[in-house]
Amino acid sequence: MTLSRRDFLKVGVGTSGGLMLSMNLVGCAAGVKKGYEPETGEWTPDAWLELTTDDQIFFTLARVEMGQGTYTGLTTLVAEELEVPPEAITPRFAPAAPEYRNPLYKLQLTGGSTSLATSWEPLRTAGASARTLLVQAAARVWEVDPAECTARDGVVVHPNGSNSIRYGRLVELASKEELRDDVALKPRSEWKYIGRQRGRLDARAKATGTAEYGIDVELPDMVFSVVTRSPRYGGRVASFNRRDVQAMPGVIDVIEIERGVAVVAESYWKARKAQNELTVEWDFSDAFSMSTDQVFDSYRKAADDDDGRSERSEGDFEEAADAASRAVEVEYEQPYLAHATLEPMNATAWYQGGKAEVWAPTQAPDLGQIAVARVTDLSPDDVVIHTTFLGGGFGRRLTQDFIEEAAEVSYKTGRPVKVIWSREEDTRHDLYRPAMLHRMKASISEGAITGWHHQIVGPEILAWYVRNAAPAQFPWAPKFMYDTLGSVGVLFEGLATPKDVSAIEGAVEYPYAVDNIDIRHTLTDPGLPVTWWRSVGYSHNGFAVETFMDELAHEMGKDPYQFRRDLLADEPRHLEVLDRAAQLAGWNSPVPGGRARGIALFKSFGTYIAQVVEAGIENGAIRVYRVSAAVDCGQVVNPDIVKDQIESGVLFGLTAALYGEITLQQGEVQQSNFHDYPLMRQYERPEVQVDIVDSEENPTGVGEPGVPPVIPALGNALFALTGQRQRRLPLKADV
Amino acid sequence: MALRLTVNGEACSLEVDGDTPLLWVVRDELGLKGTKFGCGAGLCGACTVHLNGQPVRSCSTPVEMAAGAEVTTIEGLSEGDQLHALQQAWIDHNVPQCGYCQSGQIMSAAHLLANNPTPSRDDIVAAMTGNLCRCGTYSRIVAAVESVAGTAGSAEKEGA
Repeated sequence: MTLSRRDFLKVGVGTSGGLMLSMNLVGCAAGVKKGYEPETGEWTPDAWLELTTDDQIFFTLARVEMGQGTYTGLTTLVAEELEVPPEAITPRFAPAAPEYRNPLYKLQLTGGSTSLATSWEPLRTAGASARTLLVQAAARVWEVDPAECTARDGVVVHPNGSNSIRYGRLVELASKEELRDDVALKPRSEWKYIGRQRGRLDARAKATGTAEYGIDVELPDMVFSVVTRSPRYGGRVASFNRRDVQAMPGVIDVIEIERGVAVVAESYWKARKAQNELTVEWDFSDAFSMSTDQVFDSYRKAADDDDGRSERSEGDFEEAADAASRAVEVEYEQPYLAHATLEPMNATAWYQGGKAEVWAPTQAPDLGQIAVARVTDLSPDDVVIHTTFLGGGFGRRLTQDFIEEAAEVSYKTGRPVKVIWSREEDTRHDLYRPAMLHRMKASISEGAITGWHHQIVGPEILAWYVRNAAPAQFPWAPKFMYDTLGSVGVLFEGLATPKDVSAIEGAVEYPYAVDNIDIRHTLTDPGLPVTWWRSVGYSHNGFAVETFMDELAHEMGKDPYQFRRDLLADEPRHLEVLDRAAQLAGWNSPVPGGRARGIALFKSFGTYIAQVVEAGIENGAIRVYRVSAAVDCGQVVNPDIVKDQIESGVLFGLTAALYGEITLQQGEVQQSNFHDYPLMRQYERPEVQVDIVDSEENPTGVGEPGVPPVIPALGNALFALTGQRQRRLPLKADV
Repeated sequence: MALRLTVNGEACSLEVDGDTPLLWVVRDELGLKGTKFGCGAGLCGACTVHLNGQPVRSCSTPVEMAAGAEVTTIEGLSEGDQLHALQQAWIDHNVPQCGYCQSGQIMSAAHLLANNPTPSRDDIVAAMTGNLCRCGTYSRIVAAVESVAGTAGSAEKEGA
C-alpha cells in the first residue's frame, strides 16, 4: 500500500528515464573477482563464497553483524544448500561493492529488518549453485550421472554410497563446470540447519574478547583524535585557543574541521586532556536553538494550522463524527530518543594521497565512501571501507558522520588516525528518533467504533538522510554538487527518492475493521537532525495506535483483548499472535496483587507481534514483571535468535518507555551519560516469554518488531493498575 | 612516570602518565583490546577488569593506582585454549548479541563465582547490575552464571 524506507532509492527504475542512472552507483569499479586461482588454491564461484583446496569455506557477509544475528543466520542459509554445517564456514565482512547492495535500497545498507528477507533466495541459491558444480565435477571424475551423486558434510558421495571426494579436492574441477539448468533449492523437508540451528557463530569470539570492533582497530604509527563539536546543531567555529592546546603534552595538531575542532595526539588520553584546555567560541547565528517546550508548541501550532497530508482515507470520518453518539479525542507526546549503542561512535582512517582506507563499525559502507569523498580530494571509488563487528547499531550507524570526521582529520594531518567519541559526545551529538505529537479522534455509535482519525505531527527522516545518500544516485555528479543533490532528492520525492514513510509507518496500516478512517501527517521539522532508530515510525505510531485502542476499549466498557479481537476477523495472522500472547500471559486468569496487565498488537517490517505486559509499582518505581510475546515472522531460520531478538526488542522498548527522553535547552541536549540517559539494568529485567508461530511464509525480520508493542502494553497495564492514563512518554510511577 | 604492573601473569614496565585510566593502558599500550570503553564514568561496566582480584572499572581507575598490582583482563581468564567455565557457558547459552559489553559482564561474573561459588539468584542479579547491556541479554547472563554455579532452576519463583 505504501512505500517504506526499505524502498528508499528504489525508484528511478521505470519512473524516470534520466534517473535510471541511479542503478549505476559508486564503487562499481571494484566488483568481485571470480574463478579459480591456481597459486592460492581458491575458488570463488560467486560474490558470496570462496572454497579452497584445503577445505576452507569463506562466506562474504554483506549485512553487518550488530547483534541481530546476520553472522549466524545468513551463514546458515548458505550452509544449508552447500551441505556443510554452518560451523564449517568462516564469515568475512564484505567490502563496499555493487554485488553487496541491499536490493531493497540499492545501497549497501543493513537496516529495516531486511537482511534475512532479502537474502533468503539469493544466498540459498549461491550455496546450491556451488554445491551443484561440485557434484558435477565429482560425477565427471567418476563418469556417472550427477543426479545420482549426493553432497553431504563437505563431500560428494558416489552413487555406490561408499566412495566420496572432499570439496577441497574438487574446487579446481568445479571451477570449470557450468551450471546446466536452474538450480533447484532443497525442499523444506530436507533442511538440516534452517529452523534448527542453535549456536551463534560469533559467540566464542565475543566471549573471549577477540571479536574485533571498530574501536579495536590499530594501524602502524596511528594517532588519536577527539573532536569538540558545537553544543547547538549548526553552530560554526568562530575562534579557538589553538596555541594553548597545541602546547599540551603529546599533542600533534589542533585543527578546525567541518564538524568542529579536532585535537590530534599520541594517545587517546593525551588528546582528551588537551581537549579539556580547548575553548571554542561558536557562531550560533544559524544554529538550532529551540527548547523542548518550544518544539512541542511548534508541533501544536502546525497541527492547528494544517490538517496535514492525507495518508489514508476510507469512508467519511467527518460524517461518522457528526452522527456519533460519543466522541473521544486525545493527544500523545513522545520525546526525542538517543540510540546509545554501547560502543561509542568511532572510526579509523588513513589517507595516503590518491586513496584512503577506513575501518569502521558502519551500517552503510558505500555511504562511508561518499562521506570520505566529501571531505577529501578523493572520489568514492578511491576509498576502501573495512567493516568490523558493530557494538550495537539501532540505526545510528546508517549516518556516516564518524567516518567523515576521521577521514577529514587524516586528510589534513596525513596520519593514520582513530577518532573516538566520548559517551557524552555520543549522547549529545546523536541524530535522534524524532519527538512526535499525535492527535487522535474516534467516534462511537451503538457500542462500536464508527470512525478513526489519526493526525501525526512531526518531521520526516529522509530529508536528513538524503544529504549523505543522494550522491550515490548520481555517480557522475561532481562533488561540489553533493549538497545540491540532497536538495534535489528531497524536492523530487517520489521521483529521485521514494515517498518517505518514516513518520506514518504503522499508522497507515491500521488493521482494525472500522468503516471511516482518516490518517494524516502534518509535516513540521524543528531543525534538529533526526534519523532511524530501532523500529523507526513504528516506535511512536505503535504507542499512539495501541494506547488509543486501549482507551476506546475502556471507554466502551470492553475487555481490551476481546475488543481488539472483535475487530480483526479478517486479519488471521494478527488474530493468531493476539490469541497466543493472551494465552501465554493467562489473560483471563487473576493477576497477582498490586499488578495489572496490558496488551498491545503491532505489525512492523512484515512481522506480526502481540505482547502482554504484567506490571506494578514498587517503592515508587514502575516494575515490569513479565512480558509474554507471540510472534509470526514467517519461516524461522534460527529459533534461538528469533527469541533473543524479541527479548532484546522488549528491553529496548521498555528502556524507552521507562527512561528514554532527550530534552533541549536553547538547542543544547541536556543528557550526557548513563546517569541521565539510563538503560534498563539487570535488576529491572522482566521475565520474557516468546511464542513463535510455525510458518512456511517467507521469512521477515525480527531485529526491530519486538520494540513497538511493549511501550503501549506497559502504558495500558499502568492504566489498568492506577486508572490514570499517561499520554506522554516516558511513563511515570507517580502522575 | 615509570610504572610496573603485572597483567595476566606477565610483568610489564611502562612509561605513561600516571593519571591515564588503566583501560587505555591495557588497550593501547599493552594491546589487549578485549576490555571495552563504554562510558568513561564507571556507569556501564564494559571496562571491568580485576585489580588484585577485585573487579574495578578500568575507565575510571588511574593506572598509578594499579602500580605494583596484579591486573586480570578477559584475555587472562582462559588458560591457553582452555576457556574459563563462564566463557564456555556464555557460548553454550548464546549470550552475546552485539557482544560489546560481554567481556565486562564475564569479568563481573567471574569475580562473583570466585568469591561465592553457589550464588543465589539475588546474589547474581546484585553482582551483575553494574553491567549494562544495550541488547538486553540479561536473562541469558543469569542462566549462564547459574549453569556454572550449578544453581540453575533454583530461583524459578522470581518474576513469576
